[in-house]
Amino acid sequence: MIDDSELRARLTEIFHEIFDDDTIEIHDEMTAAEVEEWDSLNHINLIVAVERSFAVKFTTTEVGNLANIGEFIALLKGKLPD
Amino acid sequence: MLSSDASHLDYRSLLRASKRLDASSCPRALRLAILSDAAVPQLVPLLQVLFARDAVRAEIYLAEYDSTEIEVFNPKSRLFEFDPEVVLLLPSVNALRQRYAREVEDRIHFADRVAAEIGELHDLLASRCPAVILQSNFAPPYERPFGNFDQKVPEAFTSQAARLNLEIADQARRRSRVLVNDVAALATREGLRHWLDERLWTLAKTFCALEHLPLVAQNVVDIVLSQSGRGVKCVVTDLDGTLWSGVIGDDGIEGIELDRFGHGEPHHRLQQFLLELKRRGLILAVCSKNEHETALRAFREHPDMVLREADIAIFSVNWQPKPDNIRQIAETLNIGLDSILFLDDNPFERELVRETLPDVIVPELPEDAADYVRFLCELNPFETSSFSQEDRRRSDLYRQNASRVEARSGFTDLSAYLESLDMQIAMRPFDAFAIPRVAQLLQRSNQFNLTTRRHGMAECEAIMRGQGSLLGFYLQLADKFGDNGLISVIILRTAEQALEVDTWLMSCRVLGRGVEQYAMNRVVALAKERGYARVDGTYIPTPKNLMVRDFFKQFGFDRVGETADGRTEWRLAVSTYLPGTVPLKEMA
Repeated sequence: MIDDSELRARLTEIFHEIFDDDTIEIHDEMTAAEVEEWDSLNHINLIVAVERSFAVKFTTTEVGNLANIGEFIALLKGKLPD
Repeated sequence: MLSSDASHLDYRSLLRASKRLDASSCPRALRLAILSDAAVPQLVPLLQVLFARDAVRAEIYLAEYDSTEIEVFNPKSRLFEFDPEVVLLLPSVNALRQRYAREVEDRIHFADRVAAEIGELHDLLASRCPAVILQSNFAPPYERPFGNFDQKVPEAFTSQAARLNLEIADQARRRSRVLVNDVAALATREGLRHWLDERLWTLAKTFCALEHLPLVAQNVVDIVLSQSGRGVKCVVTDLDGTLWSGVIGDDGIEGIELDRFGHGEPHHRLQQFLLELKRRGLILAVCSKNEHETALRAFREHPDMVLREADIAIFSVNWQPKPDNIRQIAETLNIGLDSILFLDDNPFERELVRETLPDVIVPELPEDAADYVRFLCELNPFETSSFSQEDRRRSDLYRQNASRVEARSGFTDLSAYLESLDMQIAMRPFDAFAIPRVAQLLQRSNQFNLTTRRHGMAECEAIMRGQGSLLGFYLQLADKFGDNGLISVIILRTAEQALEVDTWLMSCRVLGRGVEQYAMNRVVALAKERGYARVDGTYIPTPKNLMVRDFFKQFGFDRVGETADGRTEWRLAVSTYLPGTVPLKEMA
């Protein structure tokens, strides 16, 4: 299984690519409001990129209910094989 | 049992289940007949298992491959003997495109013709048995020689196939006993599963799955730029491994493969596609490292070639580097290098052309030739924005011939149907072109095979050279729908007292067309010619060849012996034989 720091590193990389900003550092309380480029279009791009990278699928409800990055990471971890 | 999910439709588990299926306790039985121009033997166990899940024991009659008309037009066929409750008609889009490729006249009525024939089948079936008719429609084709512009060309295959599906639905609506098996919906659904992302529609109203959006964008670019003159004007193609399988310089003209029933089928299909491109106004050129004369001979003499010498504008067949040849082709035709598309199965040659002439379009052909045409269509380099009446006239496709449609309808008896097929037949001594297919048939044929003697390649070659006492013949059959290929093999022994039938086999898909009668007429005539008073025959039973048990009897042979294992010996006095009439003409 992939450990927490590796998972966060891969996520960070995806964030850098999607938002075209290598300075972004993700943390659990982070929300879309903190990143200027994080609009609805990039939100979808982010979800799809994470799904691709980790070979998982999120449901509509799961994606709709996310409050912050911490929840997103928890959700992602729940989908990864043990 | 209505299932709750689709996971139990796994192909391999179903086949496994069929092996230990015991449906004898099922309270209900159902007799289902399947008529298809594809080979669908796997469908039988699948249907049996799935019917049994719903407590139905399916008795299935699978007609011979591509024998739909023969079964339906003959009131005494095995189909009607079987007395089906349901008749499944399952034509394939692959066979349809084959027919389309051959019907080059009046293509704008192609769908009308096919639909009219399907309607006749329904009427005839309905008049001859009380079965429910389950008519399948067609999966949409992917071949688009015009690119998106196919949609604006009414005679294009994609347009005609779409129209045909509408016609099928329309006919079914008018006949209460006909139901539609919507294969088109299944095929499309499986594609749409990838195409659409319903979740992203819910979340963000995306047009399609985002990974496919670039395709939509590229499509728009292709269409817009085709208006300003971007596009392929000339296809330059390699020969060995591209237009045919094999190396003509090594294997000889007889050694290359491109017949549509063998390993060469993908190459046959590529040639057909290239011919469509030529019909719509593209120029074809050949660029190959070969001896010029050898290559040209294939175009002139090989019976399976679709493209002929006249279809090729320029033959650059020599040992010069291909980029030099392509540059010369461009100069001769006075076209830019960026309007040339180069086809070659050899990655080295492709790379060399790409490096030297970066403007030439060089598709990275897939390894398997079976995917060549699909790959090319996906690439969509043939996008165009016009197809004028002049183009049509020039390519000589388009002849109004509405009377043909009328002439087709109204057959109710077999002989009229057979007459209408315009069948042409030839019986020829073994030759080098035919030997591979002859040997293949000798190895594979089981049902219509009187002695099941498996003569090998070497023996066939010896027969061809006239070594020994065996004479070998093969038969070819063509009809208005195209070439049926090599369909029968007969080997005769020149014995002292009689001409003996050593081997007689035939492909079951041409059953009931008079081929056997024609061949017997020829065999007896040959016996007479050679001064024999007798033709002798043997039937050797196997678990699979019961259907020809009475073969000799039907031609007036007397049974002169039978052994314990069921083998029978037959004898015909040449002087008593009356040649039967056949609905076949001698091939030119």
